[in-house]
Amino acid sequence: MPPAGILVDGLVQSCIYMTMAFGMVLVFSILGILNWTHGQFYMLGAFVVYYAVTAAGIPFPISILISGGVIGGLGMLVGRYVIERVNVPGLGLLYVTAATVALNFFFEGGAGMAFGLEDKGLYNALPGVLDLGSFSVSYQKIAVVIFTLVIMVAMYVVLNFTKIGLAIRAAAQEPGAASLYGVSVGRLSIIVMGIGCALAGMAGAIMAPVYGVNPFIGGLPLIMALLAIIIGGIGSLTGAIVGGLILGLFSSIVPYYLGYISELALFLTVITLLIVRPQGLFGVPIRR
Amino acid sequence: MKFGNYRKLLPKIVVGLLIALIFILPVFTTSLVTLSKFVQIGFWAIAAMGFMLIMRTGQISLGQATFMGLGGYTSAVFMVKFGLPFWPGFFMAGIVAGLVALAVGVVAVRAGPIAFSIITLALAEIMRIIAVSWEPVTNGSKGLVITPPTHIMLGNFEINFATSAVPNYYFIVILVAITALIFWQIDRGRLGGIFRVIAVNPTLAEHQGIPLTKFKVLAFTVAAVFTGFAGSFYAHFLGVMSPDMYGLWQSIQALMMGIVGGISSLVAGPIVGAAVLNSLSDILSRLPVYSIKPTLFGAIVLLVLLFLPKGTGLIDLWRIFWSKVYKEKPITTDNTH
Amino acid sequence: MPLLELKGVTKLFGKLAALEDIDLCVQEGEVLGICGPNGSGKTTLINVISGYYRPNRGTVYLEGKKISGLRPDQVTARGIARTFQSNMCFHRATVLQSMLIGSFLQDKTNEWQAFFETKTYKERRKKIAAEVLETLKLLDLTNEANMPAAGLPHGHQRIFGMAMALMTNPNVLLLDEPTTGMNHNEAVFVVDQIKKINERGITVILIEHNMKVLLDAATRAVVLNFGTKIAEGKPREVMKNHDVIEAYLGTETV
Repeated sequence: MPPAGILVDGLVQSCIYMTMAFGMVLVFSILGILNWTHGQFYMLGAFVVYYAVTAAGIPFPISILISGGVIGGLGMLVGRYVIERVNVPGLGLLYVTAATVALNFFFEGGAGMAFGLEDKGLYNALPGVLDLGSFSVSYQKIAVVIFTLVIMVAMYVVLNFTKIGLAIRAAAQEPGAASLYGVSVGRLSIIVMGIGCALAGMAGAIMAPVYGVNPFIGGLPLIMALLAIIIGGIGSLTGAIVGGLILGLFSSIVPYYLGYISELALFLTVITLLIVRPQGLFGVPIRR
Repeated sequence: MKFGNYRKLLPKIVVGLLIALIFILPVFTTSLVTLSKFVQIGFWAIAAMGFMLIMRTGQISLGQATFMGLGGYTSAVFMVKFGLPFWPGFFMAGIVAGLVALAVGVVAVRAGPIAFSIITLALAEIMRIIAVSWEPVTNGSKGLVITPPTHIMLGNFEINFATSAVPNYYFIVILVAITALIFWQIDRGRLGGIFRVIAVNPTLAEHQGIPLTKFKVLAFTVAAVFTGFAGSFYAHFLGVMSPDMYGLWQSIQALMMGIVGGISSLVAGPIVGAAVLNSLSDILSRLPVYSIKPTLFGAIVLLVLLFLPKGTGLIDLWRIFWSKVYKEKPITTDNTH
Repeated sequence: MPLLELKGVTKLFGKLAALEDIDLCVQEGEVLGICGPNGSGKTTLINVISGYYRPNRGTVYLEGKKISGLRPDQVTARGIARTFQSNMCFHRATVLQSMLIGSFLQDKTNEWQAFFETKTYKERRKKIAAEVLETLKLLDLTNEANMPAAGLPHGHQRIFGMAMALMTNPNVLLLDEPTTGMNHNEAVFVVDQIKKINERGITVILIEHNMKVLLDAATRAVVLNFGTKIAEGKPREVMKNHDVIEAYLGTETV
């Protein structure tokens, strides 16, 4: 049994990967595309919270919400003016992939140019630790877990009990029928894009005190979110959550035992899973 | 003879002259800088052609960098650790790349087009991590120093790759030419037609008896083999191989070169795209700010994608130009035969 | 032994049973008509036979061997071809090009021969091209050989679909509503073609809404409703069946 600290770190990472994967799948189920710049929204969210707290003196919790708003808004702009413009029939997959990847580098490089490359750090946003006898957990990490729980509950409630949630689920399952019932799939796409990106932004915000703030923090969450999605099954929200959970724990526990080959072990595990079950844990089989 | 027969000749003459020029370039200049540039462009052109071949089957590979690196490392390891001369290592590079592509490709293709992109992306990252971690073989982050290909004797005439850029130049020109010819023949042959129908209507293709996975994996593997060869030679040319040389950014560049060249073009487009983007990269490198390259690259690609007609690239602009000169309708961007 | 047999085939979509416990025998050489109101599972049946869907329960047998669970390209390789309810084609390809590529199964030369365009390969392609032209002539599509298939008038596209299926050299041909949207003359033409194809020894399974066509072309008929078989027998008798008439009440009939 690995030390409790490792498990906690694993849980924290699970929370972030879960949130990121969830946001990506949400966008995927409505727009039908994968947003390869999702990781940079995470990074930008961290920067927003950094400047909100240090430059404007806004308390950390409120800054997180501001992050969500700003990044959500940015996401909506990207959705409307980039993704929708480029998502033509036939070439859509290539063009959206290329465009969002280009954006990914644009944001990362742009952040480097605008904010500088050095780590800013926000390590004192939630100082202090919770003493649990044999080990202690920083409040920052606890905040991450609580944040994720709140988000997941909120998403569950919204998707299952609100009108807009119903519209989202309808549009995800059957866009044609949904539009017949008066659901504006176009407007919904923008809203969903906003929600998904806001989630990424807030994830970056809440993690800022834990791992620091610099232009390169977006890469790992992106690739982990992508892996979580394949493990969980593309298009499945439950899969995103489960995939994120597995991935987070795996990437914390396995290195403890295996050291540097843990990434290889992870990759091989994913490949093995796909050999046995190409559609992922909760995905729809390619061959119905 | 009808005058009409001569009309279509002019663009072909221009292209022919360019190709001839490429073959005799070293007569005009043996400058290391210039010839090195061409070697670099040739290397990237092969990688970009590989990307486009995979695109022909409707899949987007974000893993071309993997095979560039695999080719380079296989060759380097064979030379440094096993003491083999250049040629066995070179061929092993292609074989190893092909085998890895085959193994991963089967799984990645069956998982669907989106998972395919994700897995190919992850593959590049995994390659980097293996290169860093597998110290006994790859020397870790320190990298491997490689010597150029051993010289070839033709009678009394010695071709020395170490002392002059010219043999290296011709090597890459020939490699690009071979790759281009093979890819071009694939495209205009039966296989090309199969690839295309798999991309445009996989359900119909399936019901006509075409096994989708087999051909998608075939395209992926062929692309990997040639990219591996290119990676191997380029490593010898640079003289060094290290884990950070090939990652996601490199895979994306292969993609961008394909787009800039034009989606419809399998051979000419990537070559032109490689030339343009490599030159652009050079210009950007001269700018003082560190982060400007990815930022500007991203911006430029984004602008091209947003404002140029979809699917259009430089090769299409070339065709449109000539059709305007001759005042006739351009050949459609999808040259099915 | 029946040529094609379905035993207990069930296909579920979530909780909805598109096909429920279907038992069906198709004898060699017959023209089996399948009809039923919209949503009764006719196309799902074809999708299951062709391998596009995998049945949740039950098995499909071809000449006594199990084929359910095979991929569509494998099923087609075993001699079962199909057409589609919506006009399927290869975007931007001409009729001729589509049929040449569609002859994939007939082109038994391997990839190396194809790549190097050996003599064997070229001769095979010539033979295939000749067969394509013959099929086009048979189906009266010769004039449109060099037109983009996607641009053909609707009726000709339906016939083009049949041409594509025929290029796989099938023993069994599944036709999914071949005459929809056709006028009377076109429909008569299609029926003639079906009979000619059947005379060549190809077993035909024909989904049809148009009762006149069904009565004319089919030697036997099966009626589906809500995913189950409600009647089976000679077309004329089946049409008079009480359950069948009730199933169709409110929808288009003869």
